[in-house]
Amino acid sequence: MENDPILRIEDIKKAYRAREILKGISLSISKGELKVLIGPSGGGKSTLLQCINFLVMPDGGDVWLEGRKVNPHRKRELYGYRQQVGMIFQDFNLFDHLSALQNVQIALLRVKGMDKKSARERAVAELERVGLGKHIDHYPAQLSGGQKQRVSIARALAMDPKVMLLDEPTSALDPELIGEVLAVIKNLVANGMTMIMATHQISFSSAFATEIIFMEDGLIVEQGPPSKILSSAECARTKEFCSKIYDLHGEGN
Amino acid sequence: MDEWQFFQSQVFPSLMKGFKVSISLILPSAFLGVCIGIWAGSMRVYGSTWLRKLVDAYVAIFRGTPLVVQLFFWYFGLPHVGIYLSPFAASVVGFSLCSGAYQSEYVRGALLSIKKGQMLAAQALGFSKWQMLRSVILPQALRRALPGCGNEIIYLIKYSSLAYMVTCIEMTGEAKILASHYFKYTEVFLAVGAFYLVLVSLAGWFLHHLEGRLSIPGFEHHGK
Amino acid sequence: MMPEGLIAVFQALPYILQGSFVTIGIVLGAMGFGLAMGIPLALGQVYGSPPVRVAVRIYVWFFRGVPLLVLLFLFYFGFCSLLDINLSAFTVSVAVLGLISAAYQSQIFRGAIASLPAGQLKAARALGMSDAKAVWFIILPQALRLSIPAWSNEYSIVLKDSAVAYALGVAEIMARTHFVATRTYQHLPLYLAAGTIYLILTYAGTRGLRLLENKVRIRGYSR
Ligand SMILES: Nc1ncnc2c1ncn2[C@@H]1O[C@H](COP(=O)(O)OP(=O)(O)OP(=O)(O)O)[C@@H](O)[C@H]1O
Ligand SMILES: [Mg+2]
Repeated sequence: MENDPILRIEDIKKAYRAREILKGISLSISKGELKVLIGPSGGGKSTLLQCINFLVMPDGGDVWLEGRKVNPHRKRELYGYRQQVGMIFQDFNLFDHLSALQNVQIALLRVKGMDKKSARERAVAELERVGLGKHIDHYPAQLSGGQKQRVSIARALAMDPKVMLLDEPTSALDPELIGEVLAVIKNLVANGMTMIMATHQISFSSAFATEIIFMEDGLIVEQGPPSKILSSAECARTKEFCSKIYDLHGEGN
Repeated sequence: MDEWQFFQSQVFPSLMKGFKVSISLILPSAFLGVCIGIWAGSMRVYGSTWLRKLVDAYVAIFRGTPLVVQLFFWYFGLPHVGIYLSPFAASVVGFSLCSGAYQSEYVRGALLSIKKGQMLAAQALGFSKWQMLRSVILPQALRRALPGCGNEIIYLIKYSSLAYMVTCIEMTGEAKILASHYFKYTEVFLAVGAFYLVLVSLAGWFLHHLEGRLSIPGFEHHGK
Repeated sequence: MMPEGLIAVFQALPYILQGSFVTIGIVLGAMGFGLAMGIPLALGQVYGSPPVRVAVRIYVWFFRGVPLLVLLFLFYFGFCSLLDINLSAFTVSVAVLGLISAAYQSQIFRGAIASLPAGQLKAARALGMSDAKAVWFIILPQALRLSIPAWSNEYSIVLKDSAVAYALGVAEIMARTHFVATRTYQHLPLYLAAGTIYLILTYAGTRGLRLLENKVRIRGYSR
């Protein structure tokens, strides 16, 4: 009670045709927490994150933001909700026809209805915050992967989100670019941003996550603080997966 | 009831008469167009510099001017130099040459899309130039060119209606005569439109199946 | 070419060139009409409900399947007198060429929209944009840019098709050329001249669209 969750989801289900991708997922996250989703490929992490802001419409289940249940079938409510939930995609999804600055501005202008001057100021500030003050006029095709991902983080931050959902923000990046994006995320943690992140960056997670959630076949198998999940997982599958990931990604940052 | 009888006794017989003329325009023009297209397309890729320039010019001219102008040129223009073509012959000449120019684009594109390695492999096996063309390049290129070339034939079906403008009375011409005679433009032109729709849809369906029959795994052509 | 032929061409040139304004008018009108209708048709086919999609498909099937000349006759002699509306041959030509072009343009735009990665729409929605805003600010600016080469091709088709308006008696290039030719009996040189004018118009138009394409090009953007 003393620490009410900002975001809570309950019994989220999703099936494509007869295939159940999510078999009823519940979790909640409080202010300033970082919850990390791990699990094998195809386990439903991306689907879950996209169900949380209804980019994929779940077949069942509910979502509460700050204690208010979200009704995704009411358009205005849905758009308002999405403005408060930032999303970072694995492949950035920057708008290819807009410069870095315009990418950050566009939702401020067209969704929030800000005036041009304050939208620009805000966008520049966010780009500077992610270390891209010098690149505001570059187009996506002129940016490296790491820079693109930082622009997309700036784009989400400019909306003043209450929660951020990050779907493997570093897995499309060349190894030498991963660090710069993780540094930005680290900064967000330090500033008390609330985040749910799917990632394979185990060492980063063990250092910064409040909790690690192991997902497989559409179910949460195990969850708990990193120390517990990574060293003394109860479930054999979790252990096996974690050791594999350690071998693969060893020292992520 | 009246309308139906009019359709049965007047519209259908004339349209069928015109339909036969249309078909006898389309079939030879399509065939000649494809032949010209394959020849011109090959020359534009493998021909000597001069021949290539010449064929390029042919294609640019016939793709850059309206078919109507070309038809008028063949029918009304040629008598100027003592060559008299019947409306039917002028139409077939006009359709074939125009269609061939468009067809050559697809053939050329398909030939260019064939990877160098295919030719190197054939040469390494000791194929002569002609053998290579026949058994390696054309089987691949024509498959690639098929959708475009087929589409061109569908265009030809529709553009065959322009033969009417050089007084070759095919389906559209019959319809025009009938419609002005009975002053029933809407009915008659809807009917002739339906004829063309059926023809074009059948051709499209046939083409689709042909593509399916000839398809090879991993050899799908993506769009145009 | 024989001197009297050349003389006939030069004497008729101003008269024929006036027709090129009519031709350009038809083409601009039809392309504009086709654009204004092609975009909603494409959006309907991509994002519409099943009945909308079926309706668009039927529209496209019809206007791509029936020859231009038949449609011109149907609309000008058929529908106009049936509905008792008095439209000029010019207007009907623009409308019919526009309706056909809308069918073709809708398929150009549909292809361009389909070639955009799904992530573009997702990212726009994730920022809280309504679908209408996402389409207007994110999808269309990209799709239209990608469509310019195909659009330039469509321009050259509409330009050439506009010569068929002669069948309704519109005084464009073709009609004027034929008119002069039947009086001077200089068919051959006159049609060559007309062909040249069309070649120039084709070239000028595609050149202009190439410039536009470069002007709106985004650095490093290609798909
Ligand atoms: N639109 C869709 N239609 C059908 N199946 C889908 C669709 N989207 C996802 N899936 C399936 O759902 C399953 C879960 O996918 P999801 O992307 O959520 O997994 P993930 O845990 O994020 O995996 P990864 O680590 O590879 O990103 C996969 O098997 C995928 O094939
Ligand atoms: Mg994923």
